[in-house]
Amino acid sequence: MKKDIFIFKDGELKRKDNTILFLGEEQQKYLPIEQVDAIWVFGEVTLNKRFLEIISTKEICIHFFNHYGYYLGTYYPREHLNSGLVILKQVNLYSQDSMRMPVAKEIIKTAVKNILIVLKYYRSRSKLVSSGIETIESMATQIEKCQDINELMAYEGNIRGVYYQNFNDIIDNDNFQFIKRSKRPPLDGINALISFGNSLMYTSVLSEIYKTHLDPRIGILHATNGRKFSLNLDIAEVFKPIVVDRIIFNLINRKVITEKDFKKQTHGTMLTEKGKKKFLKEYTDKMMSTIKHPRLNQYVTYKRLIRLELYKIQRHIVEGDNYKGFVARW
Amino acid sequence: MNVNGTLIWYYHICKREVWLMYNHIVPDQNDENIALGRFMHEITYQRQEKEISFGHVKFDIMMQTKDHIVIGETKKSDRYEEASRYQLLYYLSVLKEAGISASGLLLYPSQKKRVKVELALNEEKKLKEIIRNIDIICSQTEPPEVEKNRFCKRCGYREYCYA
Repeated sequence: MKKDIFIFKDGELKRKDNTILFLGEEQQKYLPIEQVDAIWVFGEVTLNKRFLEIISTKEICIHFFNHYGYYLGTYYPREHLNSGLVILKQVNLYSQDSMRMPVAKEIIKTAVKNILIVLKYYRSRSKLVSSGIETIESMATQIEKCQDINELMAYEGNIRGVYYQNFNDIIDNDNFQFIKRSKRPPLDGINALISFGNSLMYTSVLSEIYKTHLDPRIGILHATNGRKFSLNLDIAEVFKPIVVDRIIFNLINRKVITEKDFKKQTHGTMLTEKGKKKFLKEYTDKMMSTIKHPRLNQYVTYKRLIRLELYKIQRHIVEGDNYKGFVARW
Repeated sequence: MNVNGTLIWYYHICKREVWLMYNHIVPDQNDENIALGRFMHEITYQRQEKEISFGHVKFDIMMQTKDHIVIGETKKSDRYEEASRYQLLYYLSVLKEAGISASGLLLYPSQKKRVKVELALNEEKKLKEIIRNIDIICSQTEPPEVEKNRFCKRCGYREYCYA
């Protein structure tokens, strides 16, 4: 199984003997290219065209993050899976509300179902989230009535608002209070964790989109204008609750991550390198853990589930199949 | 439309696959069977001329003796024998139309097996019918529906079709 590589150290990424060599200040390390799935770069890294050439032939995406841990962008090699038909149909779906709305609704409904799965798990662990569950359940019934994307996004935002308030009931540590969602910069630890986790999820989904025929620039929920990629943001909605949020609860409640893993700066609060590594360890473990897939009758990793979700979207686009989102079972 | 050898091959495995391939929707390239097939194609018969384009078809291997041409098609196993045979027969018929007489050889390097293939008259007729049917499949706006068969289990489209 191919691996995701995360680089925190400063150094140089080089092409050496048809594979990748990372030259750090103290260490040098070969990364066997056939085993690399995608690369996440957090450190200060230099690289050259020769390196990008081999990365492109091996079809590897590189995601870059800046000093503050914000997503900078992705080196998304030239498309290797080209089907004019899929692109045309994807654009067609985007531009016709009657085709776009049902898929957009299904994505939001699936995301909300997964939020409820997470909350119900904590209710069974005697956390006081019952009223939150009720509120979200009643709000969810309204999704079907939404007339356009903006209305749909507004509903989703309101549901997330209620959900985030429930974070305070789930998290056992008073130092991590959710007050208000803040981004760029995140103003407290909990927001820093949400932002970091979400950007990992966005990039993971993007890496998987690269392996399908879908075009990441054409979203379904998120409008395509202004940003480079948007389809990954859509599909991430489905997985954020069951992957990212669960990791946040686990890390804080098990006291793996504490206040010491954050630093306050004029630019808000951010995870320290150690904190990011703790998060990543949990993230990769989760992504590589498997569940039995009900229809495929085989064990699949969470990472693979993302690809399967994209296949379902692609099939919907090409064949008009009814897309049904992945809902976790516990 | 120009039918190529691969479509003839897929036609015998799965009609849906024909449509998908025709529309450049390719199977998962990291699927282990596909990777193995690609690898085997790379490492075998390195001394022979490979990937010879002829019109709109492409032969795996061409072996030429003084007065005779042999077209070789490398396959992983003889699990898809019928499909492979028709693929090769199609190449022979394309050559025949161009006035070149050749014979075919199915190559299974991992099984150390070779099967000789010759074009017969009734098979030429059958090929014409197959090509007509492929034309019909590909002219549809959507692929034929999923139909489970014994090849699904190891197919690179498995997750695309069944997830």
